[in-house]
Amino acid sequence: MAIPILKQGDILIASLQAAPTDQDLVQLKDDLAERIGRLRSRGVVIDVSALDVMDSFATRTLRGIAHATKLRGANTVIVGIQPDVAFAMVRLGLSLDGIATALDLEEGFAWLQPPPIAEAPRGS
Amino acid sequence: MEQRSTLRSPISLTDADLERRKILVGLTAEDIGRLVTLRELVTQEGDRYTEEFFRHLANLGEAPTLFGRRDVLEEAKHRKRAHLTAMAVAEFDRTYVEQRIALALLYSQYGLDTRAFLGAFDHLLQALGDDIMKRFARNADDAFRKFMSLKKVAFFDIGIITDVLMSERERVIGQQQEAIRELSTPVLQVRDGLLILPIIGTIDSQRAKQLTDGLLRAIRANRARMVVMDITGVAAVDSKVANHLIQTIAAARLMGSTVIITGLSAEVAQALVALGVDLGKITTTGDLQGGLEEAERMLGYQVVRSNETTAHRSL
Amino acid sequence: MEADAARVVIRRDGDIVEARQKGRELAQQIGFAGSDLTLIATAISEIARNIVVYANQGEISLSIAEKNGRRGILVVAQDAGPGIPDIERAMRDGYSTGNSLGLGLPGARRLMDDFEIRSTVGQGTTVTMRKWRT
Repeated sequence: MAIPILKQGDILIASLQAAPTDQDLVQLKDDLAERIGRLRSRGVVIDVSALDVMDSFATRTLRGIAHATKLRGANTVIVGIQPDVAFAMVRLGLSLDGIATALDLEEGFAWLQPPPIAEAPRGS
Repeated sequence: MEQRSTLRSPISLTDADLERRKILVGLTAEDIGRLVTLRELVTQEGDRYTEEFFRHLANLGEAPTLFGRRDVLEEAKHRKRAHLTAMAVAEFDRTYVEQRIALALLYSQYGLDTRAFLGAFDHLLQALGDDIMKRFARNADDAFRKFMSLKKVAFFDIGIITDVLMSERERVIGQQQEAIRELSTPVLQVRDGLLILPIIGTIDSQRAKQLTDGLLRAIRANRARMVVMDITGVAAVDSKVANHLIQTIAAARLMGSTVIITGLSAEVAQALVALGVDLGKITTTGDLQGGLEEAERMLGYQVVRSNETTAHRSL
Repeated sequence: MEADAARVVIRRDGDIVEARQKGRELAQQIGFAGSDLTLIATAISEIARNIVVYANQGEISLSIAEKNGRRGILVVAQDAGPGIPDIERAMRDGYSTGNSLGLGLPGARRLMDDFEIRSTVGQGTTVTMRKWRT
């Protein structure tokens, strides 16, 4: 089943359901590429909170998707990696290779927001 | 009871295991041949033996909850009676073993002491033994061999039942230890998005695992972008635990949270470096206060110090 | 075959999911705690993926392991694939570089307690791994 992609402003949100097939992930990459171009999105949030396992294949594939969307001019953030899944990934030695992660959708959106123009002075 | 023993057998039940158990007590086809000659005796006297078994336990004041409930006691007696019959049918297959396990789980559930059980079992064997010698008195040698065969079965049974009782006890102790550990590693929410994890005392690998689980789940539950892990109270860290902490920090980062370590003493820092841990990969500050300020700064709160206290207000 | 054990034929990616879900269920019955369930499921996923990618077809069997009174899970992955010519090289960790060529094997070994691998070129590979309850 195709992975649904929602649009919120200039951000796209892809929510992975449990156990996506290889086909689903390939489809996702193509769908995102198409939509980023057409909708001029500047950010993508990939929600993996429904995944109970992220093995080396899934990690590689998501890395590939993130790099592909970056090439098209959109920043990607992966959100919702579950505690047990995160620990298993670390034990497995997997790295997300510099791709940003955030706790959930809200944090993901916050990360994609452009930083404030003026920084308030720091007390000491 | 049946459901329980198939869902989660406390001991392994492969064919190889069953064979090994028989070999360990020396149970042979010859023994089985002798045991079946006891069928009549068991049919006639089985009820009496069962009553005596449980009376023995009751007199010792054992397992009051077992004796307190009529339906449970009846169940136990029924199973015990069936056990005696099975001993004389002498088919020591998986069904036989599963029935022993079911009875053992019942004993465990009602807190029957292992020693008391063994005493009662011995008492029952005595009664059976006396009757065997009487009934087969014409050939005392043969009668004795029948009794020895029976003893082998008794040890076969005891092996199973004690294994089950031990396994159950370990399970309960494990649960209690789990609960204690939960209490001793609190994660505190300081403000929105920031957690403190003060670690005190020695960390063994069990506790380290507990810490990791607790912390990562707390990060999710509290939506904590930052964690200050204070190890001021930790005296020493071995390589396994150090690696585990590093992995925990990496896992937190994958989730989208940053961990700052505070209270890293010079000794522990040196030990970590000697263990090959790359301290550059983890953020550390001197003390808890400094760590909190750093964390709040990173979260976007402005830190303002007054004379006596440290006041904070958000941007 | 023991009660609660399972055998999963591995041919396509859907089978990988089935194998790791069955593994998770069995591990839960054995009494493994939460994070261990994910470690076990992930290790199964790695070796199952290996079968799909390199051997075309294979089988994973899951059962209860017991030793010295401890209980655990036993996972055996067998295939009649091309086999691994240099096992030592295959088991060398390529993960720290994020090496996409890496077989799932060194990763699976990191997640489990016991790990054995036997392979004959032209005949196939058998991976045996166990994890013990603490």
